[in-house]
Amino acid sequence: MSRRVSPGLRSGSLPLLVALMTLLAGLALAGLSGIQSLAEGWSQAARSAATIEIPTDIPNASDRTEALVHALKALDGVTNIQKLSTDKVQDLLAPWLGQPVGSHRGLPGLSLPEVLIVAHTRGIDLSATVHDALPEAIVQEDLQWGQRLERLGTSLTGCAWLAVILIAAIATLSIGITVRRSVAAQKRAVDIVHSLGAADLTISSHIAGRAALLSFLGGVAGLILLTPLTTSLATTLSPFAHQSALPAAFPTTLDGWWTTLGILPPSLLKELGALPFIAACLGWLTAQGVVLVWLRRLP
Amino acid sequence: MIRLRDVSLKPAGVGQPVLHSMTLSIPQGEFRWLLGPSGAGKSSLLRLLTLGARPASGQMDILGTSVTGASRGALRNLRRRIGFVPQDYRLIGEWTVFDNVALPLRLRGRSERDIRQEVFSVLEWLDVAAHAHSRPTILSGGEQQRVAIARALIGRPDILLADEPTNALEESQARRLLSTFQELIDLGTTVIVATHNESLVREAPAQSIMLRDGTLDPQAIAP
Repeated sequence: MSRRVSPGLRSGSLPLLVALMTLLAGLALAGLSGIQSLAEGWSQAARSAATIEIPTDIPNASDRTEALVHALKALDGVTNIQKLSTDKVQDLLAPWLGQPVGSHRGLPGLSLPEVLIVAHTRGIDLSATVHDALPEAIVQEDLQWGQRLERLGTSLTGCAWLAVILIAAIATLSIGITVRRSVAAQKRAVDIVHSLGAADLTISSHIAGRAALLSFLGGVAGLILLTPLTTSLATTLSPFAHQSALPAAFPTTLDGWWTTLGILPPSLLKELGALPFIAACLGWLTAQGVVLVWLRRLP
Repeated sequence: MIRLRDVSLKPAGVGQPVLHSMTLSIPQGEFRWLLGPSGAGKSSLLRLLTLGARPASGQMDILGTSVTGASRGALRNLRRRIGFVPQDYRLIGEWTVFDNVALPLRLRGRSERDIRQEVFSVLEWLDVAAHAHSRPTILSGGEQQRVAIARALIGRPDILLADEPTNALEESQARRLLSTFQELIDLGTTVIVATHNESLVREAPAQSIMLRDGTLDPQAIAP
């Protein structure tokens, strides 16, 4: 026989409500994780690259360019040097110069520069080496772009966190309203228990315990609802993942599904796994607060 | 010991006090009838004494605790020492009879084994043990009243208050209840019973508290 000391929580809608909130929070977290990864990747790539433009109408351009490439390769921290082909440069400049006519490259009277893309570790200064070897060359560090991308990434991450916080706030409000309604519906029973000498905490803990359980179940249901979406996200991300034996399409077996989920960042999986527990804590705390405030009305 | 000095009760949202300047003192282990016409303030006084409301003014001491300035914790502890049989029984319909009656003991942290023994003992004495696992809503008025009496008695309260506790009982059951009240008084419990039943009052003569229009009628505080 259960040890009844207080009315519980009567709410069939609470698990459904929490399930939907968990689904939304999961989507926001997945978006957040994606944004963070992309922003980090872009920023990293941009911060560790430099573009060197070498005019071709200078004396001994070809030899001096080769000398510059050798000098750059000798530098500590330079990881790769890519010399763009004339066609590639033409393609890059096409929006400004137009498409080439016949075999002519660039504009009449204007030759296309040689372009070197230098990948390097962060913190290295290429300018001195470049100007020593080829003072006519122009060095464009992509650091600025990296900073801009980082700022963009930070603001998008902030938006995603704001969405998560808003969802948590709406969930708290909804749980609070549900608990409040349930307590009001059981006002008589609560009054009776209170009049017999039940402590406020006894009553509130009983109701909060039930709210936590229902919120946890709702959180688990929300995760189940979220699974097809996370699997789909993982399938979309699979071409970018550096893993062997990646599934090519939406998984149809449990093993395939498990492998696909493995593509997702471990931090995201941990956050998603924590959602039912967070929902339970939120449910418990909200119910405690609402019931304790409600009980203050009683003498 | 119950002591009221110049106590008034004014429920929220009500313009006039429902009890005015009430002063009375009931020593521990005594019995009082609470009498008066309908609307005289009997239920309000019982509400005050069961700590369902705090006095608007005056001083009220119950079992040596000043209710007026008592903390919530102190009031909670006092409530556990007061048994009450309300006129409308106030049973929790969703719970079984057993759970309703066991509640005061559970709130005191008693073991389930003791609770089971005591609950069945009091339910058997009141002839409702067969309904222990039923919900009170399916019981008759008299049976519900006996369940409410069982809940009030089970904690062996220091003060027992009852609002028309015999109105749904048969005569023999009412007499039995009165003898139980007498046993409790002998054990040191203060018992106050509000009733309209004049034959019952005649059968068990005792001091009475007579109320009229929310005030105490001093002439009536006598056997």
